[in-house]
Amino acid sequence: MRRTTITVACMTAAALTMTACGRSADNGGAAAQTGAAVSTGAAKGNLTMWAMGAEGDKLPELIKDFETANPGLTVKVTAIPWNAAHDKFMTAVTANKTPDLAMVGTTWMGELAGSDALDPTPSQIDKSAFFDGAQKTTEVGGTSFGIPWYVETRVVFYRSDLAKKAGFDTVPSDQAGLKEMAKAMQTKAGAKWGLGLQAGGTGSWQSLMPFAWSNGADLTKDGGKAYNFDSPQMLESMKYYQSYFTDGISDKAAPATPTTEPDFASGKVPMFISGPWEMSGVEKVGGAGFKDKYNVAPIPAGSAGSSSFVGGSNLAVFKSTQNRDAAWKLVQWLAQPDVQAKWYTMSTDLPSVKSAWQDPKLTSDKKLAVFGKQLETAKAPPSFSTWEQVVANLDTELEKVTKTGADPAAALKTVQQQADSVGTGQ
Amino acid sequence: MSVDTAPRLARTRPPGASAPQSGMVGSHHGGRWWLYLILVIALVAVVAPFVWMVLGSFKSDGELQQIPPTWWPQSASLDNYTHLFTQLNFKQFFANSAIVAVVVTVGNLLFCSMLGYALAMLDFKGKRVIFIAVMTTLMIPGVVTFVPLFVLVANAGLVDTLPGIFLPFLVAPFGVFLMRQFIIGLPKDLLDAGRVDGAGELRIFAQIILPLCGPALATLGILTFLGSWNNFLWPLVVAQSEEKYTLPVALALYSTGQNSTNYGLLLAGATVVIIPILAVFLIFQRRFIEGIATTGIK
Amino acid sequence: MSAQTGMTGSPAGPVTPVPAGLPSGPGNGSTRQGSARPSGGPAGRGRRAETRAAWVLALPFCILFLAFTAWPVIQSFFMSFTDTKAKDLKHPFSVNVIGLDNYTKALSDPIFRKSAVNTAYFVLIGMPLTLVMALAAAVALDKGISRFRAVFRLGFYLPVITSIVAVAVVWRFLLQDPGGLINTALGWVGIDGPNWLGDPKWSMPALIMMAAWRNFGTAMIIFLAGLQSVPAELHEAAAIDGAGVWQRFRNVTMPLLRPTLLFVMVTTAIGYLQFFEEPYVMTQGGPLNSTMSLTYATFNQFGFGNYGLAAAMSYIIFVVIAIVTAVQFRLLRERS
Repeated sequence: MRRTTITVACMTAAALTMTACGRSADNGGAAAQTGAAVSTGAAKGNLTMWAMGAEGDKLPELIKDFETANPGLTVKVTAIPWNAAHDKFMTAVTANKTPDLAMVGTTWMGELAGSDALDPTPSQIDKSAFFDGAQKTTEVGGTSFGIPWYVETRVVFYRSDLAKKAGFDTVPSDQAGLKEMAKAMQTKAGAKWGLGLQAGGTGSWQSLMPFAWSNGADLTKDGGKAYNFDSPQMLESMKYYQSYFTDGISDKAAPATPTTEPDFASGKVPMFISGPWEMSGVEKVGGAGFKDKYNVAPIPAGSAGSSSFVGGSNLAVFKSTQNRDAAWKLVQWLAQPDVQAKWYTMSTDLPSVKSAWQDPKLTSDKKLAVFGKQLETAKAPPSFSTWEQVVANLDTELEKVTKTGADPAAALKTVQQQADSVGTGQ
Repeated sequence: MSVDTAPRLARTRPPGASAPQSGMVGSHHGGRWWLYLILVIALVAVVAPFVWMVLGSFKSDGELQQIPPTWWPQSASLDNYTHLFTQLNFKQFFANSAIVAVVVTVGNLLFCSMLGYALAMLDFKGKRVIFIAVMTTLMIPGVVTFVPLFVLVANAGLVDTLPGIFLPFLVAPFGVFLMRQFIIGLPKDLLDAGRVDGAGELRIFAQIILPLCGPALATLGILTFLGSWNNFLWPLVVAQSEEKYTLPVALALYSTGQNSTNYGLLLAGATVVIIPILAVFLIFQRRFIEGIATTGIK
Repeated sequence: MSAQTGMTGSPAGPVTPVPAGLPSGPGNGSTRQGSARPSGGPAGRGRRAETRAAWVLALPFCILFLAFTAWPVIQSFFMSFTDTKAKDLKHPFSVNVIGLDNYTKALSDPIFRKSAVNTAYFVLIGMPLTLVMALAAAVALDKGISRFRAVFRLGFYLPVITSIVAVAVVWRFLLQDPGGLINTALGWVGIDGPNWLGDPKWSMPALIMMAAWRNFGTAMIIFLAGLQSVPAELHEAAAIDGAGVWQRFRNVTMPLLRPTLLFVMVTTAIGYLQFFEEPYVMTQGGPLNSTMSLTYATFNQFGFGNYGLAAAMSYIIFVVIAIVTAVQFRLLRERS
């Protein structure tokens, strides 16, 4: 008898709780905002800042200069491992335990802004100072949250010594030419695989999109209200991507964790597409003198010029900050061209501010200049909160296309359907 | 096969008695050379990756990425270790890990044996409910309670504190189950004898039952220590400042990057992390095996 | 949630089967009733003292359970019936209740289904493999040899205490095709090893090998203890009766080992049904989702912010675990 009473009581409580739930009618997107202006004058007080990995490690030294210029201010930087950093941010936002500002991965902006955690960028900060693609990574629903701090982009790495054997002085500037060169690497320079492309799977969209963007693909339609995967440009690019695998130029069966550097150094896979960190990556494995054996070149142009993927990290200020003024001042300072150049020497992270590239340390490195040029036209995916989920479908379908020869048109239709059902989350 | 006599026999044998003798009735000890051979081959196969890991910690990152992988370091150096120890505030992280692991272990040893005893030996209302709660918690995937738990801990003001890191783990249902199973195997007459002598219930637990649980406690101790020492995600999420990081979190900080991993540092860190666990295992190993042996397994 | 969550239902343990020292007692988990005591009078007082003592002993667990476990479980269970997304977590009640929608969505999701098949494959092959290896090693160490047992014990247990990330680095090199140690060794006997991590057919076997290597040490140590408590006298008696080694194993050792076996099977199954770290660090669920596991799929949904759906998936996994555990208890019940 007692048991039944308890059970009934529990179920009633549960039912009542359920009926108390419900979303409020208007959750719709707000109009584009800009943050309130930040006061001039020195910054004061305390700031807590999170930064990942090596950046978190080196940042305190850079910030010392700022603290010297603003004697009333102390900045505490906490370094977080990249591994699980995303989880740390999301749980912190949920529990309202965020720092004043943080370094944030470009692909997390949609989620963080969607959780109403970020402070819009004040109008004092000049958005045009940054590379266009990088600046777009800070924009969610038309509002800019934070600034791009450092950037990276993807270019073609190739073994210049083997390329000569294959009859190429540099990478051709069109997509068909790239394929020819890769094929020639196999037939004339002894490579096992001409070009190292990711055969689908997690993150493979970053390999596909440079070609797609070069062909003028646009990932959104209806003025940014919906995803746009099923477009003729995407189809053309996917077919092009698939052809590398069907023609035996790229390895279908490469394991999930690539062996890019050793393969590049040994000449087994003398071409690949990746970012600036790979320069030190391949030089470490290649040994002394290797830096003269390879070079980088921009992504070949499609019908819309040469484009690539831009990533990196942004700096964002959290809404819950108690010291908004100082936080934004620090952000502004980190965006100054001289500070950006100094950061480059400390960390080898590429500046997001265009004028910082005039600095002699950056202009003297020829390989870096290629990255600099590519950054001018590089693009980023839309910062929708559902991006990760939707693009995971693209990765899965791309894997089927490259590994089993599935039809790209059908694959894109599937991706589009799934994207439409998930929505943009705006 | 009587279920009760076996444990008596097992327990009357002195601890650590050489069991193999029993299986060798009628055979020579030295004649099993072929078995030793097979075991050595198996041991080599099992231990090889571990040895590679330790050797790898002395290699440079570039060498570690070579294909085919090398075995002996081409030019062994302590660089990874010096990098680790100079960059990392090693003492602090080690201390944090140690404090958390020891508190969690002691807490579990104490509280799990308390509840395990109650569930095994005592009769009380709500016993069934508590046991079901324990088993259910054991079977629920931890990932689903992670975020609500963090919100809870945050609301309790425990974020960025060591108690925030160890409190949720002070009584693991796994430990309760383990102690219960062990204590159930002990003879109930001990309780009656204690009661007849006029001892209070709690004294019976503390002075009669608990001393007999030594081996099980050693077992639970090692396993809990291992789990707590290697725990990565929870300490990462709870800590807001580096001073509260535990060792696995700090090591991940230096070895994993946005786009690349420093394998040399990673392996050096992994080798360093193992050492305390190895020490705990070796110290408790005798008690551990002997513990399982005398639990009245039938 | 990333790898090395270090959490299962018992938060202190790692995700792969948490080693447990002890098998169940007689009756395998059925509670043994306290000695029958009449109520009322001095015996009744004794009973009340027992109850009071029990509650004192149970108090720490109850407090910590209610504080740190009960609420999160209730909240997440409740979430599984709503369309909660990551950004709703700050306002947990401003969500729509959608009943069983999450559950039907999960069960009809092709990736979830594939994960279920993969997980079943992993458990059905991986568990027997691990347990056979463990039992064989235990028997060899217990009866077969008399010297260096401690060395072998430690050696076989080493994989259990090594960090999963280091294990992954090592195993990725082992499994490389060509050039990895395994394929090189296979080459010596004339077998052309497959592309373990790149071929959807061979990726799961590769992970099973890795998991068995990693976990058999724990089971071995528990079996060792179980074997050591088989009284020498029984073996001697059987030997005198003319039973050979194999017969002795089947008729003397195995029946006595049954409770240990049950315990190891239950805990290994709970761990293996939730396998996550191996595919996470080695293959990211690929190739072509051939190594995607139930927990990994759930983890991904958490990552996408679909908390309601992910919670539903977690409780589906829980139901599966509960059923499998119950079945094992049934099958290996003591028949006395």
